Formats: sequence, structure tokens, C-alpha cells
Amino acid sequence: MFAYYIELGLRSLKRNPVLTALMVLGIALGIAASMTSLTLFHMMGSDPIPSKSTKLHYVQLDTWDPNQPFDEEGNAPDQVTYRDAQALMEAGKADRQAAMYKVSYPIQPENPEVKPFLALGRATYSDFFPMFEPPFRYGGAWDHGQDSQHGRVVVLSKATNEKLFGGADSVGKRVRMNDVDYTVVGVLDEWRPRVKFYDLTNGSLNDPEEFYMPYTTAIELKANASGNNQCWKPSASGWDAYLASECVWQQFWVELDSPAKLAEYRAFLDNYANEQKKLGRFQRPLNNHLYDVREWLENQKVVPKDVQIQVGLSFAFLLVCLINTVGLLLAKFTRKSGEIGLRRALGASKPQLFAQHLIEAGMVGVTGGVLGLVLTFGGLAMTRMLYDYYGNVARLDFSMVATTILLSIFAAVLAGVYPTWRACQVAPAAQLKTQ
Amino acid sequence: MEIRPILSALMRSKVALILIGLQIALTLAIVCNALFIIRQRMDTMGRPSGMDEANTFTVASFGFGDSFNTKNAFTEDLALLRGLPGVKDVSPMNTVPMSQSGWSEGVSLKADQKTATTSTAIYFVDEHGLDAYGLRLVAGRNFKPEEITVRDARSSDWPPVLMVTRALAEKLFPGEDAVGKQINISGDPSKPMQTIIGVIDALQVPWPESFIVNGDHNAPSYSTLVPQMTPYGTRTAYLVRTEPGRRDELMKTVEQKLTDSNHSRIVRNIKSIEAIRAECYREDRAMMIILLTVIVCLLTITALGIVGMASFWVTQRTKQIGTRRALGATRGAILRYFLTENFLITSGGLALGALLTYGLSFWLMAHQQEAKLLPWHYVPVGFVSLWALGQLAVLGPATRASRVPPAVATRSV
Amino acid sequence: MLKMSHLSKVYRTHMVETHALRDFSIHVRDGEFVAVTGPSGSGKTTFLNIAGLLEDFTGGEFWLDGVDVRGMGDDARSRLRNEKIGFIFQSFNLIPDLNIFDNVDVPLRYRGFGGAERRKRIEESLTRVGLASRMKHYPSELSGGQQQRVAIARALAGSPRLLMADEPTGNLDSLMARGVMELLEDINRQGTTIIMVTHDPELAARAQRNVHIIDGQVTDFDEEPKLRKPGFENRDSRLGKEGVLA
Repeated sequence: MFAYYIELGLRSLKRNPVLTALMVLGIALGIAASMTSLTLFHMMGSDPIPSKSTKLHYVQLDTWDPNQPFDEEGNAPDQVTYRDAQALMEAGKADRQAAMYKVSYPIQPENPEVKPFLALGRATYSDFFPMFEPPFRYGGAWDHGQDSQHGRVVVLSKATNEKLFGGADSVGKRVRMNDVDYTVVGVLDEWRPRVKFYDLTNGSLNDPEEFYMPYTTAIELKANASGNNQCWKPSASGWDAYLASECVWQQFWVELDSPAKLAEYRAFLDNYANEQKKLGRFQRPLNNHLYDVREWLENQKVVPKDVQIQVGLSFAFLLVCLINTVGLLLAKFTRKSGEIGLRRALGASKPQLFAQHLIEAGMVGVTGGVLGLVLTFGGLAMTRMLYDYYGNVARLDFSMVATTILLSIFAAVLAGVYPTWRACQVAPAAQLKTQ
Repeated sequence: MEIRPILSALMRSKVALILIGLQIALTLAIVCNALFIIRQRMDTMGRPSGMDEANTFTVASFGFGDSFNTKNAFTEDLALLRGLPGVKDVSPMNTVPMSQSGWSEGVSLKADQKTATTSTAIYFVDEHGLDAYGLRLVAGRNFKPEEITVRDARSSDWPPVLMVTRALAEKLFPGEDAVGKQINISGDPSKPMQTIIGVIDALQVPWPESFIVNGDHNAPSYSTLVPQMTPYGTRTAYLVRTEPGRRDELMKTVEQKLTDSNHSRIVRNIKSIEAIRAECYREDRAMMIILLTVIVCLLTITALGIVGMASFWVTQRTKQIGTRRALGATRGAILRYFLTENFLITSGGLALGALLTYGLSFWLMAHQQEAKLLPWHYVPVGFVSLWALGQLAVLGPATRASRVPPAVATRSV
Repeated sequence: MLKMSHLSKVYRTHMVETHALRDFSIHVRDGEFVAVTGPSGSGKTTFLNIAGLLEDFTGGEFWLDGVDVRGMGDDARSRLRNEKIGFIFQSFNLIPDLNIFDNVDVPLRYRGFGGAERRKRIEESLTRVGLASRMKHYPSELSGGQQQRVAIARALAGSPRLLMADEPTGNLDSLMARGVMELLEDINRQGTTIIMVTHDPELAARAQRNVHIIDGQVTDFDEEPKLRKPGFENRDSRLGKEGVLA
């Protein structure tokens, strides 16, 4: 019977191509608009590292001005001071930990064909790599030894390796940055987390770094942070005074492999804060936090308000398209009441007619959904053009494609329920007598 | 006109009323609010920066290694650039408005204040700064060459004099002449205060959309000029102002000249202020385009829906139309009947729509930075537009209806 | 009242030309009750449409109540129709979404009468057909006979000079049919000209005069007004003179 209904549906839809086209287009546009904005919303807000998002935690300490909070909402600062990062690294109380900050250096390629260029990098500890699991193509990360010895080593991104060494295995080769020579210890493979979750304060949708170097080396070389730097108290002159100041310019992540460890670390942080209070620091009330990845994404409001508004508006638009479809389906089915009455007279039951017409509505939905999917690709392409930094998030993944098709079938069936029900209420006799 | 019978006929089969009415209601809500958002974004994007945007561009240099002498770089580069034909003036700088990156400090009126009175953006310039940015001095004087200092890496000494924008002066010293007054931007009570020696008309901060200080929405106009050359690591940056029409050609020339003059550095970030403005507001511009697209699609869908349903009803009621004609209705009367019916349906939808419009406006206010309620005049304009849209959409089917011949009444099929 | 002279009506499609009426002449005097009979496809409905100004004609002449209708524009015909003619259809043609009051109201609105005038006329004509108590009811709530009586009220509300009835009892049972015919006769007695199209010879017998159409032409033309028959009882006596049984 199902195949018969499909055949009937096809014939019925072909009979009035303009009406069918209008219904399909309406659903397609509504679906495309909703799915485009929903994709952005989903990709931006979704878990970028599901395998570990509950283990990785961001440390937030309130070291700010006793006279006023960090921001209008009374939050603690979103970065930590050098002093606190060092203290936490030395304490080593987590399963893994890494302080880090954004740096930029001019790279001076040996190859005279390649012009010197400014590269963005990350100064961090060796634990960064097992914590965040960027994939390696050649070699690996540096080790704890090179951390403590301020090793002149570097890990390159895939793109940087292409630029400097044509993509070959460059482990052991030399890279000159800002007049200092570094040895390559590892080259990463393609790594594009949807959102740069480990450093939300300095451009959450930017591409990942072009190189990674030991934090200790960067500090020794007095590398300024290329990201945000905020101070509530001016620091005295000089690099050492800066390191001792209350300026926040670093991020600190820990990996805690069990809930027990999490509780332990929380206690440790509070303890540390209290100790610092005795030294005259941390003058605000205790306000330490340990956010896991998802909590941190939410706290930092990674999904822009504009995207949220777009989601709301596009679903309202979908609603209009659906109501439109209900009206057109109603028109179509009512016109067929003669045929429906005839079928009833010939023995069709109400449920059978109901099924037949619901399937017809569903067919409109599937067609609208497929067209809507195509339009969604277009919509996301347009989004990438309008917001050129959305390259990583304005893409459909499998779950979104499936959602699109399901949503459109659901929408069309929903739209078809009332018209179908109305059409099937027809009394056979009345329809057969007069036209 | 026969409004009452039309209305009571509509009430009998409410389906039509509900379907079209709901579409109209939602369309009104979405279109009014979308237009308002567009308007707000346009206003935001239209705010002047205070600079001569047409003829200015930035350029930055990143030296290699700690041995790179930034002080020499400043001196040599400025001399080179100022000597180029077509260049009006050049100033060392740290940032420009709308660039989204810069330096801000709290401003206090007394050295020992616990919390700053407000915050300001800091622009490090020399005595050519006014000319290079294209700023207008409205009180006091410009910096003198001997007042320009050079800040070493990580020093925290501020020069004794500075200039502020008119908006900041009003904020700090309302109704008074700010020239000669003292303020503290160092945040250190042990350090001396700074004296305002000049007031400029306007200069936006680098973050015009997010720089709101303690709820003060005027903050994007609070800027301070500091007579100091401040490298960042090995980075020195300049703002170049050219003669009208020569900017693009000089952007290339400047890059070439700077690269050639010193091989121990990278020259980059050559951007016109117009490009920086476009980048700053690209999200707003994108939102506007997206909203316009949605509005157009929505109006089209609604109009086509009206055409579709109206055509259907005309067909359903052919016998009735014929009867009316037989009873003496002219073609014009039939046309008017359908136009009136559509007008009533639209009106019903609009009444509901007005409520939805404000509901949506409240929801949007919760999700936007500058929460503003929809101004009342959007609704009547929306009413008129949708009435017009409805009437236009139904014109086709209504004309078809009026052409139904009276003889249909007697024919039995 | 109504005079047609050598009227013709031709329907032209791409390939086919149909002569619905040819050389058709008829003269109906004021106050007559004329039945027009004929087999299906004979042109009765075409005649009705033209006589009721619902359609235009191809050739010939047509005067309605002294007015030359030939060449009249659509709007003028609508106005004339509205003022002079009342229609009663086989399938009643009441508007289902309006109540009885509003249904009778329809032609009066096009006439341009004011609210009070319309109300008066509606009440009067509904009283005349005996349905004044059902003013707020909807057509679906009435029986076939009652619906047709409403249609008659609608036709009468504008005080027409001519009543055109198309198979007025076609959809009614014999009891209701008799009631409708009695009403029509009563209306005719009070001075309204009636032209009734029917294929039922029993009904035709109740009219004063019969006109028979075959193939678009009048075949049996009775100039003399006949005495009205007392009723259905005298079946046998009406055979012979008046012509063919349908």
C-alpha cells in the first residue's frame, strides 16, 4: 500500500505543478534559514573535545582590585598573573597542568625565496600536548626537561611546515625566530578545533597557532603577550617588575582525571588563595573557579548574541512558511474532495485515506528538505563570505544534515495533519451527488 | 460597503482567517523588528571616528631580535616617510579607532581615588599626531616637539601633558574649560598627575561597540592623546596621511621604501582606515544583509501564500460569485468584495501582529547589547505596508473572480 | 414586458460553432405566467440566461420592459438585472456562510438601499414566504423547500417586475414542490410577470401559457393566454392541445 500511496502522491503533485512548487519552495526556504543559523549555533556552542571536555579545567582566580570587580557583572578576571601561573605549575597538584599565553615572532626563513613573516604562536608547557591532543605528523612535543632548561625548541603547525620546509619531515631542522635559532621537535597534522577553546580571551574563532614554544623560554626571552593584558594596579618599570605585578595575561589549564581529584584541586586553590591573602594579595572575597570546557565556553558566551537572534528569527520565519504550507495543502486537499468521496464510496477507510494524504504531505516535506539542504549549503557559504572568520563553524556535519531532513519531513507532516483530517471528514454521499 | 456580512461569513469558516491572519501577524512582528535592528546597526556603523578616514592608512614594522633599535627605527622611518611626495603627515602611533586593539587606562580626578572616575583609550602620538589623524583642536594647544618622550619597554612613566577629546573633558569637568586641569591616568597615587593642554573635537576609541564604562554609553568617545613614542617589543607603527586621491598608490610605495631601508625587520599591517572600518563593522553589516534577505523572503512567501489561498477560494466560490452577479452585482462590486475581505483578514492579522511585534521586541532586548524597545512609529508603517501587500497579492485572484460570468449561476456544473 | 425578435446565440470555440438559439422570437406580456419547456440541450437554459441578462446574444433584438438591451455594457446589464429581475434557481444558490437575513440582503445591497429600507424589505419578503421566524438561521439548517422559499424571498425583496425561475422545484419532493408552485401562482396573481423554465409538463400546466423549444427554436408558440387549470387533478384534459410530453 505504501508504494501505491507514493504513486498516488506523485500523480497528485504533478497535477498542479505551480502549487506543488510553491509548497516545496516555502518549506525549503524556511528549512534553509533555520538550519543555517542552527548550524552556526550548534557548532559554536558544541563540545570541541568531547573525549576530554569533562577532564580539562580552566583556572580562574580573583586577584582583582578590592575597590571594584573585574567587570560589570562582578566576575573574576578571565586570565591569571605570571606569579600565580608559576606557583600553580610548581605545586603540580593536578594530573597535568599547563600555563600558556599568545606570542608573536617574526620568522626568518633560511630559504631566501620565502620572505620573513610574522607568526602567531603559543608559549606553553609540554603538558599542553597530551592535554589537548593536537595530532602530530612528525616527531612529538618537547619534554619536561626542556621545559625546565628553557630549551630552544619549537613545534610547527602543518601550514608553517609547508611554508618553511615544503611539508617535509623537518624534525631536527633549524628555525630562526626573532634572531634566535630553534630546533624543530615536532610538526602537527591538520588541527582545526571548531572553537579555539583553550584561549577564548584572544579570539575564539581564530585559526590555531603557527608554532608552539616552551613557556619558560619565552619568559626568559622576555616575549610580550600578543593577547590581552589587563592590570588594576600599574606595574613598576622593567620586565621583572612586570612578572611580579598583578597584571593578568596568561591562561592556566589543568587536567583532573577523577571527581575526587577535582574536589582536591578546588580545595588546593582555595588554600593557595588564603595563603596569598596573608601576603596582602587576593584582596577581594574568595572567588576561585574551576570550569570544565563546556562550562567555560558558556561562561565566556562564545555564541555571539547576533547568532542567537538569527536562530530565533529564522525559526519564526520557518513557522510562517509552515502556516503557508498548511494553507496551500488545505486548498489542494479540499479541491480533491470529490475524489476522496469517490474513494470512500469504493471502500477506502478513513485511516487509509488519512495515511495516503499524510504521505503526500510527507513527500512535499522530503522534496522541500532536500532542496532546503542544498540551500543551506548556499546559506552557509554566504555566511562564510559575510563573516570570514566563521570558516571552522559554518560547515554542515552529518548530524546537521540528518536534522535538516528530519526537520523538513516533520514540518511537512505537521503542516499536513490538519488539511488531511479536514479532507477525510468528507461524507462520501455529499461529494458524489453534486460538483 | 458590506463589511458586516463579509465579516460574519469569515467567522463561519475561520480557517482562512487564522491561516492568513497568523502569517500576517508573524510577518509584521519579524519585519518591524528586523528593520529596527537594521536601523540601529546603520546608526552604529555611521558614527564618525573623528579621523580623516579617506586619506589615512597604518603601517607597522617588526624588528628581528632584541638588538633591533626601536628608537632609531622611529627616527629614521618618520624622516623617510615624511619626506615622500604626496604624504601630508606621518605620526608614530599604537593604534587607530575601530581597530579592536589598543590601550585603555582608568582616569581619576584625584591621585588617591579608590576607583577611577571613568576610562579612556590611549593614543600615543608625537606633535604630528593632530595632523596625521586629521583631528580638530578646539581648545588649548598641540604638543611641542620637546614634550615628546620615548617609553622604554615595560617602563611605566607617563609624560606630564596630554590632550583629551571634548566628550571626555565634558565628563570629567562638566561645563568648565578643561585646559590646564589635572588628571591621573597612571593609576599610581605616588606618581605626578598629568595636565590637559589641549582639547580635540572627537576621536573614537578602538572598540566603539564594546567600550561601555559603568553603563556610560558615551565612553566610545573618551580618548586621550599622549605625547610619547611607545614601541611594543620590536614593533613600531605609524599612521600616514596622504594628499587626497594618493592613498592607494602611496600604500605600495611606503611598504617598498620601508622594507628597502632596513632589512632586519618585517613590514606589514598596511591597512587603510576605510578597510579597518569595514572589518570592525563586518558583523553588523552581515547582520543587516541577513535580515534584509529574511525580510524579502518573508514578504514574498506571505504574498504568494495570499495569492495561492485567494485563488483557491475564488475557485471554491465560483457558484456563489455567479449568483451574486445574477442578483445584480457588477464586476466592480465583486472585485471590491474580495479586496474588502482581504482587508478585513489582514486587519485581523495586524491586530494580533502588533502584540507579537512587541513580544518579539522584548525578547530581542534580552539578547542585544543596547537594549531598546521598538519605537512606536514602526507599527503603523508596517500596517500600511502589509495592507498594501495584501491588496496587491489578492488583486489577481479578485480580478479573476470579477470575470466569472453571471451565467455560471444557472449552469449546473 | 419581454420581447425577443429573431434572436440568435452562437457559442464559438476553436473548432466548433454551436447555435444554441436560432431565429428565436418570443413575446411575454405584463403579468403573464409563462412556462418554457423543452428537452435537455434544447436551449432553455440559454434562453433563460439571455432573458435574465446573464449572457449576451449574437444577433437579433431584445427589449426588456421597454428598454433595448442590445449593446448594453456589463455594468448596465447588472444594474437592470438588479432592479427589474428576480431569480430563482434549481439548486437554490443560497450562500452557505450567510444567514437567511443576510442572504436575502445581498441584492438589496447592490441596489444601494439604506439600512432601514433593506431591513423593511427583508422582513416583508420573508414574512410573505412564511419564514420570518428563521431570519438568523443558516441555509444548512433548513429543508429544501424552505431554502427555495428563502430564494424566492430574495428574488422578491427588490420588488422586481419579472421573476425568472429555473426548474424551481427540480430538487424538491412533491409536497414541497406543490407549496412552491402555490407561492409562485400567488405572486403572479399579485401582478409579477413570471417566466419559468421546466422540463416537467405537470408544472408547465399550471402556467398560463407554454412555450416549447427544440434545438434552439420555438416550435410551439401559444399566443393565446390559456385559462389556468385548477390543479393536478385534471391530468387527461391537458394532453393534446399543448404539445409534446417532455
